[in-house]
Amino acid sequence: MTPASAATGDAAWKRWVIGLALPLVLLVVWQIVGTTVQGLRTPVPTKIIAAAGIMIASGDLPMAILQSLGRVFAGFMVAAIIAIPLGLAMGYSRAVERNVDPLVESFRPVAAIAILPLAILWLGTGTAAAVMIVAYAAFFPLVVNTVAGAKNVNPTLLHAAATMGISRLTIIRTVVVPAALPSIFVGLRVALAVGWTAIVAAELAVGAKAGGGGSGGIGQMMFIFYAYSIELNRIIVCMISVGLIALVLDRMLRALMRASMPWERA
Amino acid sequence: MNWKHLIASAGVYFRTMAIFIAVWWLVAIWTDNQILLPTPLIVLEAAMDLALDLELFRQAGISFGRMVISTTIASSLAIPLGLAMGLSPLFEKIVDPTIEVLRPISGIAWIPLALFIFGIGNALPVFIMTYAAFFPIVLGTVLGVRTVDRRLIDAARTMGVPQRTIVLRVVLPAAMPSLLVALRVGVALSWTAVVAAELIGAPSGLGYAIEWYRELLMTPQVMSFIAMIGVIGYICDTGVRWLNRRFTPWAAVR
Repeated sequence: MTPASAATGDAAWKRWVIGLALPLVLLVVWQIVGTTVQGLRTPVPTKIIAAAGIMIASGDLPMAILQSLGRVFAGFMVAAIIAIPLGLAMGYSRAVERNVDPLVESFRPVAAIAILPLAILWLGTGTAAAVMIVAYAAFFPLVVNTVAGAKNVNPTLLHAAATMGISRLTIIRTVVVPAALPSIFVGLRVALAVGWTAIVAAELAVGAKAGGGGSGGIGQMMFIFYAYSIELNRIIVCMISVGLIALVLDRMLRALMRASMPWERA
Repeated sequence: MNWKHLIASAGVYFRTMAIFIAVWWLVAIWTDNQILLPTPLIVLEAAMDLALDLELFRQAGISFGRMVISTTIASSLAIPLGLAMGLSPLFEKIVDPTIEVLRPISGIAWIPLALFIFGIGNALPVFIMTYAAFFPIVLGTVLGVRTVDRRLIDAARTMGVPQRTIVLRVVLPAAMPSLLVALRVGVALSWTAVVAAELIGAPSGLGYAIEWYRELLMTPQVMSFIAMIGVIGYICDTGVRWLNRRFTPWAAVR
């Protein structure tokens, strides 16, 4: 938003009208076309809202979302616990980086969903496999951004700390980590977004391929609506939920970023 | 980078990978279960068989072809849209909210609906990958157009250059670095989406092959195809980076 348009309330109001015009027109056209087609399964906005009401009231949708979110946070924590210390070590010490980097770079191009078959084989179709996929997906953006952040430390500060005879661990804690924090947060944001996409994919694929193996979550919920009852309205409710959660997660991390680093204007 | 340095870093690379493979081998012997964790040698044999059979390359070619088609479609839709959005503030205000509403819905979340619309076949993965690649390319193009030096456009306009030529000769080249960075993200995202899309809704491709051999519990073959996904992903990324350097040598690309 340009400062000029935000300056007066009138301009901001106009912006809203212009911005909402196209989505509203599309929704109205969709509604009209949907009702004239009169197919039993044709999704229309009003039916989607009704379906969303039913799914929320019955508690199915919130439960599925909570289950998926729980897995994302678990996988995310596992990735953070491994990736951030590793990234700091790689960024701080050239020797560690040289030796570990080939491994990271060899596995980075392998998409997280590709290792799903192995995860199912090793951990079954339950939560453990889903957590592993999220952890794998979140690991790489975290490592890469932490390394970049740790390398970005002002060398003068490092020399100053070394001159004062501070131990390595203290240097990392008091000099490297604060300097790397903005970059680590970028990594966390990317990792959370990637993890959320991965969990939906993992649950979808498990729902599709492992039979009714009961892994639950929003992804499997979507697939069940497709495979067993073809309820398109409900599938669309799930899609909108997936988008909303992605948006909320991103906003939350951004707020956290601003709160923990007031000096950084991101 | 001179050749001595290159050999040294290759040495480190092989040392690290040798340690990784040794650990893998030991764990495999300890597990003693060829379905759960086959030894590296068995995986290598399976990969060789699949390569000699050409199946590895056939499935990879199918997936790669889909990715190329998808990113081409995504670019041909996203670049003109991004140019228009970057050049006209009013158009951007109209279109941007719709894009921002759709963007958080990942391509993968479209799979069930797309399965209903397209069925299982070529169209489904292409649709999902096009969708995945579309958003980064639009945003990158808009960003690129915004960073164009206004004076260049004004100068061209002063000299009476028609609008079309200004877009093609001034705006597009200036937006190119940002656009190619966005293309790199788009290619990476669509390559991630291909596996999910093929795993669920395609009769061929790497994702399909992985799932096929998983159902047969042929883990060495599963691992070979997973490795192939990494290899193609790496080649694509290197390819786009090469494009970056080739076409926008003035932009600093690492």
